[in-house]
Amino acid sequence: MSANDPSDTILFAERPEWADLTPVSQYENIQPLAPIFYKPEYKDATDYFRGVVKIGEMSPRVLALTETIIRLNPAHYSAWQYRYQTLLATNSSLSAELELTNELTKAYIKTYQVWHHRRLLLTKLNDPVPELAFIEDALTLDAKNYHTWSYRQWLLAHYDRAEMWAGELPFVERLLEEDVRNNSAWHHRFFVVFERGAEAGEDIVKRELAFAKEKIALAPNNNSAWNYLRGVLDHSHVPYASQTAFVKLYVSASAPQTGTDEVVDLENPLPAQGAELPCAAAIEFLADIYEAEGKAGLSRAVPLWKSLGDEHDTIRKKYWEYRIREATAAAQTS
Amino acid sequence: MSKPVVIPPLTQKGHAAHCNRCLAGLPASLLDLDGSRMAISFYCLGTLDITGLVDQKITDTDRESWKEWIWDQQAGGVYGSGFRPGPFMTTTENQPSQHLATYSNDYSTPHIIMTYCALLSLAILRDDFTKLDRKGLLQFLRSCQGADGSFSTIPGAGDGDLRMTYCAFAISALLNDWSGIDAPRAFAYLRRCRTYEGGYGQSPTCEAIGGPTYCALASVYLAPPHLAMPLTPAERKQTTRWLLQTQNETGGLSGRTGKLADACYCFWCSASLDILGDRALLNTPAMAAFLASCQFNFGGIAKAPGTTPDPYHTYLSLAAVAIAPPETEDGSWRLQPLNTLINATTDTVKWAKEHIPARAY
Repeated sequence: MSANDPSDTILFAERPEWADLTPVSQYENIQPLAPIFYKPEYKDATDYFRGVVKIGEMSPRVLALTETIIRLNPAHYSAWQYRYQTLLATNSSLSAELELTNELTKAYIKTYQVWHHRRLLLTKLNDPVPELAFIEDALTLDAKNYHTWSYRQWLLAHYDRAEMWAGELPFVERLLEEDVRNNSAWHHRFFVVFERGAEAGEDIVKRELAFAKEKIALAPNNNSAWNYLRGVLDHSHVPYASQTAFVKLYVSASAPQTGTDEVVDLENPLPAQGAELPCAAAIEFLADIYEAEGKAGLSRAVPLWKSLGDEHDTIRKKYWEYRIREATAAAQTS
Repeated sequence: MSKPVVIPPLTQKGHAAHCNRCLAGLPASLLDLDGSRMAISFYCLGTLDITGLVDQKITDTDRESWKEWIWDQQAGGVYGSGFRPGPFMTTTENQPSQHLATYSNDYSTPHIIMTYCALLSLAILRDDFTKLDRKGLLQFLRSCQGADGSFSTIPGAGDGDLRMTYCAFAISALLNDWSGIDAPRAFAYLRRCRTYEGGYGQSPTCEAIGGPTYCALASVYLAPPHLAMPLTPAERKQTTRWLLQTQNETGGLSGRTGKLADACYCFWCSASLDILGDRALLNTPAMAAFLASCQFNFGGIAKAPGTTPDPYHTYLSLAAVAIAPPETEDGSWRLQPLNTLINATTDTVKWAKEHIPARAY
């Protein structure tokens, strides 16, 4: 679509095919707030756009005009909005529009409007399956892009098709393979496993706990994996104490010794070689387990919080002191 | 604190000067702000307000013409009235500034976020709000709320998320009139945004992130008692834990678990902690040291050290400091007190609450 390339310097004011339209310039009072020094091509295109909107014209040339504006300012929500209505009014091919949007999405990946436009197109096209591959490709540009992930979650929830859900766990695992600290991927896993509407059974909970622990073993200082572990336990109302044996492996200063022929314990995987221990998240977790025991556990929880505040997580010293105060007060009143 | 943190001074005047320059004009490289000029203006004016420099930096002529410019963006029509981001879609060439402009199509309607920003900007400029179409504004809020309880940016857009929920709640609080929103439905939506981590996603099913978490908590606490839907004690504890976890070894706070620290999240997360009454648990000297390192030599604050400053990060960094100042003798860190729920200085919010609601006749 070279005619719509913003580097094409022919202004709309100079194009004979636009001669019939009266441009409307932008009104500003004498001293506006935060005026933008518009490029001539932007002023020109938006003058014609205001002219178009004023008379309500919806025609193929409006698609060219709005594309020009969008390429100059992808956050111009009115241009997107008018473009979408024009696509519908002119019976334009929405598949062709999606093709164009593929390019625009990648070029303006942090822009709300491009993703909203995509959503509107999909709602009409009703062909969500190829989108999953597009999204995975877009994530190679930015694996934590919020819009990209939101769009995937919307797509899955909106269409709710078994064949779409089916590939999601391998997809998440591919992303965590690349970056085990990608919290967006962890969040997505929680969404896929627990928020589909269907109740996750005991075997699924077991599988998810094992998954989180396996990833913790690889890289213990990873809040995303610990938050996931907590999330699974909270969601399924399993007490944290069920994980005591596992957590203790990460609380001591050195990794437990293993014999080469030892059977791998899936419920309690050992920290990887060279892992930085003790792990602050494990200390916090163990203190939570003791705190839940009430008065009896307090004397074991307090030294753990103290060690976090004094040594292992000093930036949050005030928080750990607060936890000690709170738990101590709770024990006295119980 | 285990390690004493050395905090360089906060160069308030430089930050105010950066924002003053932006109010005078933005370069063509910032074209993509055309649809959110009112928000940029609010961050600039907010910076002057929070540094206490409004009277010093804004001449009477500027003040009058800026108020007029903001009022020019108020428009009424079938969806009610509110403010547009700027004149970028105004199709009438000679806009009357003395009475309400009208929009006659769906492409130049008011915008809910810009409306929130305009009301606060006018309050910073101490406008008397006699030109405010209050009835129209309530109708506009109603026009933005969708069946799922969320609010869209403009009527019918269907792009609802928690940012606009917050704006609807803040506008209702400023109007002292809650008849423009269906609060139970709004809360049903808000609750769906909560995640297993204890924060809120921007919309249901999305990952927990600082900005929307502030929007959710502020909305919950802005609602009057008869509409309120408070968090349970367990939820509060979990949210505080997650918010504090966003502070990393740089001293700065990140928006999501495991992401890099960013000056704006120092505001969104510390403001959230303040709303929950847990601000004192934050390591404020470490946060201040991070924000100090985000300062640009020639004024303005950037998202991270070594990046380009902008009014958004400048204002929110200062707002974070106003909420959670470091314990230092250095007077450069003292700012005007902030109303955390509305996100403007307490004096400005007081003015707004005295002038925005409809008068009793």
